[in-house]
Amino acid sequence: MRLLRWYPKAWRNRYGEEFAEFLIADIEERPQSAERTLDVARAGLLARLAVAGLAEPHVAWQPDPGRRVQVSLGMLCGALTACLALAAAMWSQLAIAREWTLPAPATPPTTRAMLVMSAAVLAFLVLIVLAVAPVGYAIARNRNIRLLGPLLVLAAAVSLLAFGGHHFLYQWPGSGGHGEDGTLFPVVPAGIQAFAWSLTYWFSVHWFWLSAGLGGWEVAWITASPLALAAAAAAAATLVRRADLSPRLLAYETRLGAAACAVMGVFLGGCGYWVYVGRPPGLAHAGQIDIAAAILLALALAAAYQAQRTALRGLHLVRG
Amino acid sequence: MPKRDGARPGADAGLAGFGRYAGPATLILSSLADGPKHGYALTKDVEEFAGVRLAPGTLYEALARLESQGMIEALEAEDRRRPYRLTAAGATALQAHLDAQRRVTETGLRRLKANWGTV
Repeated sequence: MRLLRWYPKAWRNRYGEEFAEFLIADIEERPQSAERTLDVARAGLLARLAVAGLAEPHVAWQPDPGRRVQVSLGMLCGALTACLALAAAMWSQLAIAREWTLPAPATPPTTRAMLVMSAAVLAFLVLIVLAVAPVGYAIARNRNIRLLGPLLVLAAAVSLLAFGGHHFLYQWPGSGGHGEDGTLFPVVPAGIQAFAWSLTYWFSVHWFWLSAGLGGWEVAWITASPLALAAAAAAAATLVRRADLSPRLLAYETRLGAAACAVMGVFLGGCGYWVYVGRPPGLAHAGQIDIAAAILLALALAAAYQAQRTALRGLHLVRG
Repeated sequence: MPKRDGARPGADAGLAGFGRYAGPATLILSSLADGPKHGYALTKDVEEFAGVRLAPGTLYEALARLESQGMIEALEAEDRRRPYRLTAAGATALQAHLDAQRRVTETGLRRLKANWGTV
């Protein structure tokens, strides 16, 4: 029965047979019903969101509440990683563009936006450290064989990103480092700008790739780095889902998740100011790709916020 | 008289947290107050006494919430059809909800009669 395919497997395992019987009886009575199809599709998609940790932590067909919170936190981890990748791409572009335009006449909107975005990225990195440390400790204590696979994937992806990011640090036209002679005035050290940019070439130099052509290693890096980033995010989310984490730690991580969403909201505000209000001429001008990135960032942030809220509601269930 | 057991300790005694599912949940609990029923029998009963036809997706969303709150419980399946039964927690929640609804209804009818003479 095709209508059942709207629902995830966990739901079908619990309700599949009786729901099929229900539908057979309903279809006999009303052979054609667009309302029924739409209602089943809506409910099925909502059930899939629940499986992904984005909705409904309190339904009977899902496993225990603690695991549901971890599923939501895993989704939160993945969504925030996407936010960070997009934020790093936009931030590093603006930082380097701004540096290249200095000491030209000041562009206050760009500087203000840059300061807000830089503060938000810094705060976000602090939150990452605060979030990762206790989870890493818990995982080390777990000694669970099911964690080995995602741990290896995470280590490989992070190593690739670190190695590649460092390798391409100053090997790109326009990348950071030119401020090291002291003639320019970077908001943050040029090496950090360059590293963030080299990690996000896949996003920021698409136009260069298309118009000028790149060497084999550059193309390989542009192809591999987003895949490595996605693999790292997926592995981290899997670790969060599978590890045995105490209710207290889950509550702590959920609170940090709320703070991370707020910080990323501040970043988005600074970014919006840059894109829609500042509109500075020259290198720091926000283009269509930046607008697209801001929209994607807003969507990822919305998913992160929804996952955080779902985790919070799940926590209330865990605490009874 | 259905057996009143199976209430989950600490179950929510009210339907306030059901949001947009409060309506379907009330109809389902009212139907099950008359005895256990499976999904299709439930919709036919609700259609008969309330004039509302619960769509399949909506019905099972409400059933899942009621079950997770311990207000109903699933019985053994009969020929792939699984009946549901009202629990003590569900009866208490339904009673509280209908009492509140009755107060609203009585107040509205009294005011209509006093000011509009329509009752």
